[in-house]
Amino acid sequence: MTVTSAKRPGQAGRTDAAGRTDAAGRTDAAADAVSTTPTVRAAGRKALFWVVAGVGAVLVSIAATLIAGGTSAAGPPLAADNPAPVGGMALVEVLRQQGVTVTVADSLNEARSAASAADNPTVFFYGADGYLDDDQLRDLAGIAPRLVVADPDFAQLQAFAPLVGSGGVSSADELSAQCDVPAAVRAESVSPGGATLGIEVGDDVDGQGSDVDLIGCFPTEGNSGTTYAMVQQVTAGEQVTLVAGTAVFSNETITSDGNGALALGLLGESDTLVWYLPTLADVAVAGPPSLGELTPGWVTPVLLLLVLAVIAAAIWRGRRFGPLVAENLPVTVKASETMEGRARLYARSSARLRAIDALRIGTVQRLATQLGLARSAGLDEVVGAVAALTDRPVSEVRRILVDEAPEGDRALVALSDRLAELERQAVRATTGTAHGRMDT
Amino acid sequence: MTFTGRYVALLAIGVVPIVLFGPSMGEAAVVLGGWLLLTIVLGVVDLALAASPRRLSLARSLPSRVRLGETVASELYLTNTGRRMLRAVVRDGWQPPAGAGDNRTRVRIPTGERRLVTLALTPFRRGERRVEQVTVRSFGPLGLWARQATLTAPGQIRVLPPFLARKHLPSRIARLKELDGLTSVMVRGQGTEFDSLREYVRGDDVRSIDWRATARRNDVMVRTWRPERDRRVVILVDTGRTSAARVDDEPRLDTAFEASLLLAALASRAGDRVDFVAWDRRVRGRVQGTQGAELLSRMVDTMALIEPELIEPDWSAVPAQVRSVTNQRALVVLLTSVDAAGAASGLLSVLPQLTSRHTVVVASVTDPQASRAVRERSTREEVYRAAAAERAMLDVARVSAAIRQLGGEVVTGSPADLPPALADRYIALKAAGRL
Repeated sequence: MTVTSAKRPGQAGRTDAAGRTDAAGRTDAAADAVSTTPTVRAAGRKALFWVVAGVGAVLVSIAATLIAGGTSAAGPPLAADNPAPVGGMALVEVLRQQGVTVTVADSLNEARSAASAADNPTVFFYGADGYLDDDQLRDLAGIAPRLVVADPDFAQLQAFAPLVGSGGVSSADELSAQCDVPAAVRAESVSPGGATLGIEVGDDVDGQGSDVDLIGCFPTEGNSGTTYAMVQQVTAGEQVTLVAGTAVFSNETITSDGNGALALGLLGESDTLVWYLPTLADVAVAGPPSLGELTPGWVTPVLLLLVLAVIAAAIWRGRRFGPLVAENLPVTVKASETMEGRARLYARSSARLRAIDALRIGTVQRLATQLGLARSAGLDEVVGAVAALTDRPVSEVRRILVDEAPEGDRALVALSDRLAELERQAVRATTGTAHGRMDT
Repeated sequence: MTFTGRYVALLAIGVVPIVLFGPSMGEAAVVLGGWLLLTIVLGVVDLALAASPRRLSLARSLPSRVRLGETVASELYLTNTGRRMLRAVVRDGWQPPAGAGDNRTRVRIPTGERRLVTLALTPFRRGERRVEQVTVRSFGPLGLWARQATLTAPGQIRVLPPFLARKHLPSRIARLKELDGLTSVMVRGQGTEFDSLREYVRGDDVRSIDWRATARRNDVMVRTWRPERDRRVVILVDTGRTSAARVDDEPRLDTAFEASLLLAALASRAGDRVDFVAWDRRVRGRVQGTQGAELLSRMVDTMALIEPELIEPDWSAVPAQVRSVTNQRALVVLLTSVDAAGAASGLLSVLPQLTSRHTVVVASVTDPQASRAVRERSTREEVYRAAAAERAMLDVARVSAAIRQLGGEVVTGSPADLPPALADRYIALKAAGRL
């Protein structure tokens, strides 16, 4: 670890002598500090094109979204402020132009207060999401003298008109009024197809029931009897109009056939219309308080602050202290790589004979040197000399040094061991005879 | 621009007021916004009060040379030319092999004053080590935000070969002196020169009695001899691809440099003229016509910048190179690697041209790992390794035998042994008068 130190002001006595060559032969390079880091202004000028291009791209995309957004977004079906094909904004706007006060309600409470505030209101209800339970639906039935229900599901039918059921898809080519509900009569027909409603009990279509009058309009003659696109139930002082499907009210189809006339007729009867689409606010809250209610209010801001602190810490630790320094790295190859590679080649191809021969040649050469034989001495000479020296039979020495071919890896290791043992023995014998026991 | 740890801590402390003063979400959000605004305002004020890191003038003081393994001081003088007090951390951007260690220094420089930043450099690789830049990170008085700039301040230091083999020099010089003034105890060779006459003392070889001088002086005189002087020694280092290989974690080239430095020191002390050429396909470095201390300093200076080139050396041009150095008979020392017969064919093909005119010594580094591997044979893998090592050693022996047959001498040794072995061979040749 090298020591780094900055001289204190008191110790900086050498400073006035700096910048010149001193006795130690140091070469000094004095330079005015030229910054390679661009200033903010220079960096800004350099990045100007990209900033302008980025801002331009954002502006273009915002403009494109604004232009195309109205038609592409779906939004909630039959919402009063939804201009999409499935929305109900067209109907609401026409009603407002006709002088009807349209109040948009998002919950049952809002709808009830809006209805009770008005004199003789009409309530439009469309609840495909099933947010309301049976009790709430029954409450809804009583809040206004006139209730228009679009596309009622089973629970809503049970609550508003128990005698009316779903009637399947209409197969008729055209649906004409064929009843004496004024709005239906004025509309004459609605667009064909779509869902229908059936009247289950008896034949009360003409209003012959005791206290409940059911009037079916726009009938379809099907296999299982007559079904209707619209059913109006009139009880004492209350009128519930059930319209199968949403085609009559939605922006896309309100202009076809007599849809518009029917919708305006049904909803424009009174001066006040409450346009009620249930939302999550209607879902009854029960049970223990949720986690969100239990957490204190400061948790989210604290989390936000900690995220910001982490980002600041990332900048603190991640900002590089100047550019990287380049250097030329030397080649590093170990000289023993070739030896290791050759050993692996031997092992992979099981070149046992070749391997043991290499060891044998080395051993024979060392033995020849050790025994003082001439460099040109033949193999037989070495074998004979070694056998004589080590008191082994010539055939055995010859087998070790020349003849034996190892059959497997185990035999190879054993043969290599015998070779080494032979060499050790010969060395011991020669040094023993020459210098006495010096080799321990 | 950057933040400091202090700013991060300040930001995180904002948790306390948010929890204390913000029981509801809305109030907490207001406190959060206020805290963020406060820290940002503090940061901006801090940044505005920080001295500009660009308003600095830099001066360096560096030794021009250093031996590998030694430590030198790199001095950097910083003068604050701005109008505000500079509180900064300075990073001196040395290349990593310069061995600067922790190169970040905290400084406080009042306006118009100068401070010295000293770094201890312990280079760990030979060659030219450079520094191009100094990065200054300037903090404000609160130490929250910082400005940063990189300033150009070039400098360089040449790292010379360590010449660790110089520890062998005194003993070799002593042996060289023993050759000097030897009488007939030494065998008279064709290269030894007549030195002087002196009186016979008991023990001198009677064969070296000069009878004419004895007759003139009426006393028995003997002739003394001294080793030949003013011979030429040409050291040719192969910088080709095989010189890049590492033996005992030292490139062959560095071992070759060590050996040539020891030989050059010895030979120049013995009165011979040494020339040095580094060669692969062209001359990478050359030292010619210098003597004494100047020779060694020029040699290390030249060697410092030579790196192994990954190309095959062109041996066919080597005789011409030697001829361009000297026309006399010379001792030509080739520092290369003696490997397989195939790789050495280029060397072997030009050896006769050299040996016909000169005394040639081929010096090569051997891998001590191979001789260790030959003895370890307990498992299957080790036996194959031993066989491969034996094969490699047999190849070296074959090439060495071929070189001897062509009239050259071979010196091999591990990286630690090669320089003294080469020096000993030189002394032996000199004693035999074969230069």
